Amino acid sequence: MNRFALIALYRSLTRHKLYSALNIGGLAVGIAVFLVLGLYVRFETSFETWLPHHDQIYQVTSSLHLPDGTFSGDYPGTMAGLLEELQQDFPGVTGARLRGGQNGGTVLRDGGAVAEDVAQVDPNFVTLFDLPMVQGEGRRALADPTSVLISRSIARKYFGTSDPIGQTLTVAMEAPVAYRVAGVFEDIPANSDLRFSILTPLPKTKPWPLEWMWNRWGTAPLITWLRFPTLAEARAFERKMPAYIDRRAVNDMGPHASKFFALKLAPITQMHLQPTGSESAGTKLTIIALGVVGVLTLLIAIVNYVSLATARTGLRAREVAMRKVVGADRATLIRQFLGEAMLTVALSALLGLILAELGLPLANAAGGLSLAIPYAVVVPALAALVVLIGVAAGFYPALLLSRFQPAAVLASARGPGGGRAGSRLREGLAVLQFGLAIAFIIGTMVLFAQTQHNRKTDLGFRREGLMVVSSLAETRIYPALARSLLDAFGRMPGVISVGVAGVAAGSNGNTSVESVDPSRRAGVAPTFGVTMGAIQVGHDFFRTYSPRLLAGRVFDDAHGADDSTEWWKEHRTRNIVINRLAVKALGFRSPADAVGKVIGGAMPRTIIGVVDQLRFFPPRIADAPTYYQYTRDPPPYPIATIRFSGDPRAILEEVRKTWRQIAPEVPLRADTGDHKLEEFYEADDHAARLFSIGAVLAVAIACVGLWGLASFNTARRVKEIGIRKTLGASSQDIVLLLVGQFLRPVLIANLIAWPAAYFAARQWLAGFSDRIELSPFYFLGASLIAIAIAVATVVGHAIRASRAAPAWALRHE
Amino acid sequence: MIRLENIQRRYRSDEVETTALNDVNLEVAAGEFVAIMGPSGCGKSTLLNTLGAVDRPTAGRYWFDGRDLAALDEKELARFRGQTLGFVFQSFNLIDDLTIEENVALGLAYRGEARDRRARIAAAMDKVGIAHRARHFPFQLSGGQQQRAAIARAIVGEPKLILADEPTGNLDTENGQQVMSILSGLNQEGATVVMVTHSPSHADFARRRIDMLDGRIVASAARAI
Repeated sequence: MNRFALIALYRSLTRHKLYSALNIGGLAVGIAVFLVLGLYVRFETSFETWLPHHDQIYQVTSSLHLPDGTFSGDYPGTMAGLLEELQQDFPGVTGARLRGGQNGGTVLRDGGAVAEDVAQVDPNFVTLFDLPMVQGEGRRALADPTSVLISRSIARKYFGTSDPIGQTLTVAMEAPVAYRVAGVFEDIPANSDLRFSILTPLPKTKPWPLEWMWNRWGTAPLITWLRFPTLAEARAFERKMPAYIDRRAVNDMGPHASKFFALKLAPITQMHLQPTGSESAGTKLTIIALGVVGVLTLLIAIVNYVSLATARTGLRAREVAMRKVVGADRATLIRQFLGEAMLTVALSALLGLILAELGLPLANAAGGLSLAIPYAVVVPALAALVVLIGVAAGFYPALLLSRFQPAAVLASARGPGGGRAGSRLREGLAVLQFGLAIAFIIGTMVLFAQTQHNRKTDLGFRREGLMVVSSLAETRIYPALARSLLDAFGRMPGVISVGVAGVAAGSNGNTSVESVDPSRRAGVAPTFGVTMGAIQVGHDFFRTYSPRLLAGRVFDDAHGADDSTEWWKEHRTRNIVINRLAVKALGFRSPADAVGKVIGGAMPRTIIGVVDQLRFFPPRIADAPTYYQYTRDPPPYPIATIRFSGDPRAILEEVRKTWRQIAPEVPLRADTGDHKLEEFYEADDHAARLFSIGAVLAVAIACVGLWGLASFNTARRVKEIGIRKTLGASSQDIVLLLVGQFLRPVLIANLIAWPAAYFAARQWLAGFSDRIELSPFYFLGASLIAIAIAVATVVGHAIRASRAAPAWALRHE
Repeated sequence: MIRLENIQRRYRSDEVETTALNDVNLEVAAGEFVAIMGPSGCGKSTLLNTLGAVDRPTAGRYWFDGRDLAALDEKELARFRGQTLGFVFQSFNLIDDLTIEENVALGLAYRGEARDRRARIAAAMDKVGIAHRARHFPFQLSGGQQQRAAIARAIVGEPKLILADEPTGNLDTENGQQVMSILSGLNQEGATVVMVTHSPSHADFARRRIDMLDGRIVASAARAI
């Protein structure tokens, strides 16, 4: 570009201020949205890439595929003794295990206890992961059973500025142990799902809660990683697993266990995007959706640029003609206009970067994130983007402009506007923009409707007035202590009942699963057992949650057979309560039909009652057929739920006081039921908010484009308007004509938007067990919103144009 | 049919005020063919725009068939133009994005008459010899053909008054003659025609000639037939 071209560009931008503002501003907003959502996607796809050899580490996942499918899926954990068994059969295998993690244990200090992210790991964990060390030598340290490794933050928290090495830290998982700090590792970065800040050696003797299941196939209490130099070797090893399972799991799972059970190797970097178990595919879909919003918003902005630039070509026809007359060839002109496009895009990119920096706190707040712009990465990426968008957005206008024939342009009274092809292209681009915008509006409506539905749906119990005390499940709360605590809770003012069970409102959904033989029913031949959730409940569980009783009765201490405390005495028939889905799964005609029936084959159980579904788990976990079994004593790993009336803060304070008196050495974890349930909805809420911000901005950019187009087209049609008015058209006729013309692309856009939004929304909703219907209301509503926005955008131009005096309009060129 | 009394039309820009029409008085009877002549900028087109109710006078009265047009609001004026007048312009003013047939149809679009639309459009195109170009776009036609199409659009609604603003100004001699013959024929069939022209020979087609200078009518003479 020569000096005159730069001057011409500068003057063109400053003379047509509104056009420049729309073009540069629209693109800048598009770039800002793309940047922020790009940073989000980059963050979400970078999990565990901070590990030096992340491409060599594989997490072993347990995959269960049962005929009735209820509990089928991949689970992140494995049997505790799997690594040892694998190393017996495959001596060269390198791996490490981790038990615990987030709030996995406590640090005891000055008579108090603080919950920390404590994990027990194999000694070679540090080398397997190449955990970055700040002080000390990790591998040697964990070979010593009395050594502990701590993170930089934990070192600062407990030892301040003094040297932590050699100091004592008392850490409890099962029981308190005084460890010597042998090393300090770097804090785990935010882009990691590994949640530990204190690492202790996995004890040589099996910890008692896991002892019975250490080598029991089908359990999954800890995480096992293996390391392979290449993906091919990992896959080759994975192919050996079915035969290995059939050989090893025969005692616990019977012959041919590999038909329904598999061990898979998942690259550690994929675990965040394709998490196993309860998280399902929701995370990946959310990230894809937000990434797509970012890219499409940028696309809408680029489309704007092309649309406005081609629309404006007519205004510059004479300039082009004159440049050609004085000797510019076509290539020179293409270079000039491409250069202009790139300069304009560069300006937009700079503004976009500023907007992204300013908007990041808002996006972080909305999305529950802590993103920052890494300039070292973003600036070169943005430079590449400028060239890319510059070429993409500038090429067509450059081609169009450089094609003008100077003689025709200079002889003509009227500037060319790209002709019918140009206006068709602009209309096509407007269709694309509004198609995407309408799809975004539909997406936003569906997202918000589902997140609202999650909150308001019937869970089978009243969410308010519940206090969940989950620290009762701590291994150091032995049964007698648990009983004392439960009794004390029951005496607190405002408490209506105290229920106890293995689950509570806000539980993560990891319940015991049992294959229950329905064969004790007359006339039904047993096939495969019905897979059911098994929940152990204690005192007052049903009174606390008050599920709808569909038939029979719930547990009552007056009935001796209700108590399954000595459950291992399998010859005794136990009483159970089942839920509504179990009625169907077990093949009963109705809840009343199920009552009194005995199921369970060799482990007989009498159904005494049927209750409606109690939905304690995240909204993506499907409701399952479940049976409840009662023990007079608190069941293993109990969670207490307190039903109360009055102020939750007062009850929490009472719980805190009681806990401190009875179990001061164990940190309390208690929260209201609705708070705990709220955690389930947070991720989707954040995604919905980010999506809606992206969608609103995308719609706004599309409107800017339409506004610019309306402004240009109306200006071009002034003379036509004059002719029409001369022929008798009223102002109202003109407004209808112009608005109708701009509505046409918006109406056609529905053809793109509806199917695209339908398939995307259906895919996303499929992840929820209890989901909203995809009603036509969302589609019609979104289209009406788009039409209203489009009309509001162009009606001003239309009215102004319609008011022009026809004599003036006819003179207009 | 038309009576103008003391019509004035002034334009005001930031710095100057221009008087385009100054105290113009004019009567046109039904069935007349009037040619308005004068040098550029003398107010011919402004007078024609005023007659066509596309421009409102600054002062004075305009009666059409005894009706005071100043009393009409915008909507009524639009209806008046659509139902009463036919316009022919020097630069044709066809709409580029519409075919010739659609352009002609535009002459009926705002009259609210659905009766015999197709037949009337076909007849109008036929009358000016443009029917074979019905599906073409304006830019595909010669100037003469475009002007004939514009005349078809003007007459399709059978207006009482045809206003022609230098209808031959952009045409060569042969096409100019053709257009004048058509206008003359229409007048002989009963249409009232008021035409602005620079050409004395084309003015000779009219029965009366009006000369203008500096916004005033300076001469009005009937041609002896």
